[in-house]
Amino acid sequence: MADDVRAMSAELARDPASLVFLRLGEALRLRGQVEAAAKVALAGLEHHPNVADAHDLYARVLADAGDLDGAADEWNIALSLEPRHAGAHKGLGFVNFQRGDLDAALDHLELALAADPKDPAVVRALATVREAARQAAERPAAEGASGGAATGVFAGLEGAEDRLLLVDPRGRVLGGGLRTRKGDDVAEEVAAYLAGVSQEADRTARLLELGEWRWILAEGEAGHLHLSVPAAGTLLLLVRDRAVPSGRLAILAARAAEVARRWLQAQSL
Amino acid sequence: MTGGYQAVLDAVTRVRGVRGAMLVAGDDGLVVAESLMEGVKGNAVAALAASLAKRFRRASEAAHCGQPRFLHLQASEGTLLAAPAPSGMLLVVVADADVNVGLARLEMLKAAEAVA
Amino acid sequence: MSQTRAVEPWALEPLKRFVAESGARLALLTTPAGQVIAQHGFTRAVDVMSAAALGAAIAASTAEIVRLLEEPAFRALAHQGYEHGVFLSRFETPRGPMLALVVYGTDSSIGLVQLFFEELVRELVAACPAPAPPRPVLAADFERDLNDSLAALFGR
Repeated sequence: MADDVRAMSAELARDPASLVFLRLGEALRLRGQVEAAAKVALAGLEHHPNVADAHDLYARVLADAGDLDGAADEWNIALSLEPRHAGAHKGLGFVNFQRGDLDAALDHLELALAADPKDPAVVRALATVREAARQAAERPAAEGASGGAATGVFAGLEGAEDRLLLVDPRGRVLGGGLRTRKGDDVAEEVAAYLAGVSQEADRTARLLELGEWRWILAEGEAGHLHLSVPAAGTLLLLVRDRAVPSGRLAILAARAAEVARRWLQAQSL
Repeated sequence: MTGGYQAVLDAVTRVRGVRGAMLVAGDDGLVVAESLMEGVKGNAVAALAASLAKRFRRASEAAHCGQPRFLHLQASEGTLLAAPAPSGMLLVVVADADVNVGLARLEMLKAAEAVA
Repeated sequence: MSQTRAVEPWALEPLKRFVAESGARLALLTTPAGQVIAQHGFTRAVDVMSAAALGAAIAASTAEIVRLLEEPAFRALAHQGYEHGVFLSRFETPRGPMLALVVYGTDSSIGLVQLFFEELVRELVAACPAPAPPRPVLAADFERDLNDSLAALFGR
C-alpha cells in the first residue's frame, strides 16, 4: 500500500496533469491522511476542473473532514458535469440522510442505484433510509410538522441562510438570507438594490438588442456576486468569497436556481 | 479620440466576437472614446452600461463585497462586459453571446490599467 | 396622483415615458417665451412659472452667445451639481421651437437623460398637431390662457 502511494506520488510529480491523482487521493483518504488527500484533490482540480470524478474525490475528503456543506457543493458540481455520476448521487444521499432530508436522500440513492445497480453499499444505504422514512411516516403528523431548518428554500446548499437570497422584482425577500462576515443581516437592503439592478438589466438588454438577460456576474473587491432569474418574477443572488473562480460560481448558481425553481413550484401547488 | 485610447480599445476589439469597446465617463454615462462595429449604438451602450454598473455597485457594497472590478451581463443574444478603470472611467464591451469571456476579461483588465 | 400634467394633451404621454425611462425628478416643456406646455414633478405653480421664465432666459442668452460664435444653433446645456444635474435643450417641432428643462438626481445621469431625450423629441414631433392659425392676442385671452394653463398643470 505504501509502495503504491509512493509510486503514484512519483508519477504525479513527473506529470502533474496526470489523472493518477484520483487514485492517490483516494488511497490517502482511506489511510486517514485527510489533509494530504485534500491537497492532492485540490491540485488535481486545478488541472481538471471539469472532471466529475475529481469533484467526487474532493467531496469525499471534505465529508471525512466533517464539512458536509462543502462536500454537498462538490457533489452538486460533479452532477452538473455528469448528471448520472453514481458517486455523487451516493454522496448526496449520505449528506441528505445526515441532515434528515429523507426524501432527497432516497431520490439520490435511487439514482445512484440506477447508475450502478451492483453497488452493495448503495443497496444497504437504501434499505436503511427506507426504514428511516417508514418510521418517520408512522410518527404523528404534528411531530413531523415541527421539522425545522430543512424547510428553507435552499436547505442543503452551502450558504443557504446567509449567502443565497431569493427576491421578487420589487425588492422583497422571498427566501434564503444574506449576512456579512460579521453576521449583520443585509438581506433586505441588498434585495432593495437588486430590484433596480434587475430593471436596469431588463432595459439594457432590450435597448441594446441583446435578447433576454440570463445572469450578471460581478467580481467585487471583497467577494463575488451572481444574479440570475431562476423563474419568471424572481431573482436569485449568490454571494461567495472572491477566491471562488467565476466558472464555479456559475455552476453553484445553476444548482441553487434549480433548487429555487423546485421550491417556487411547491409554493404554487 | 487620442491615439492612446484608440490603441487600448483596439486591443480589446481584436478579441473574436467583440462588437465594440468604449471608454465611458462612469458617473455621467457619456462616451469618452469608442471603437464600435456598425450598428452598435454608442450613446445607448454608454448610458445604460454606466447605469447598470452604478446600480450593481450599490448592491455589491450593501452586500459588503466592495466595488465590482469586473461585471458580466449574459443575455441570450449578446454579452455586455464592464470594467471600471481607476481614473473613474468605465471600459465597456459589447460582444456576441458566445464570446471568449476569459480572454476579453484579461484584455479589458489590462486596458483598464492602461487608462488609469 | 400622477405628477405629470400637460396643458397640451398630446405632450402628456411622451413626457410620462421620458420621465419613467430617464429617472428625471423634474421636467418642464415650454415655448421659447416660457409658456408652459407640460410639466412633471413640480408641486407649486410659483415654482413652475419661475423655472419656465428662467429656462427661457438662459436659452435666450445662450442663443445670443451661440450667435456671436457664429454657431448654427443652441442645442443643449448641462450643469452637474453634487446632488442634481440640470439639462436644458431647445428642439424643433411642427409648432415651432420648444424648450425642455430637466432636473435629475444621482440615480440617473446626463447620459441617460440625453439618450431618452432624443426619444422624447421624436415622440413629441410625431404627436404634435399642425400649428393653429394665428389669432389676435387680447389681454383677456392672455389672462384666461394663463388660468387655464395653471388649472391643467395643477388640477385646480
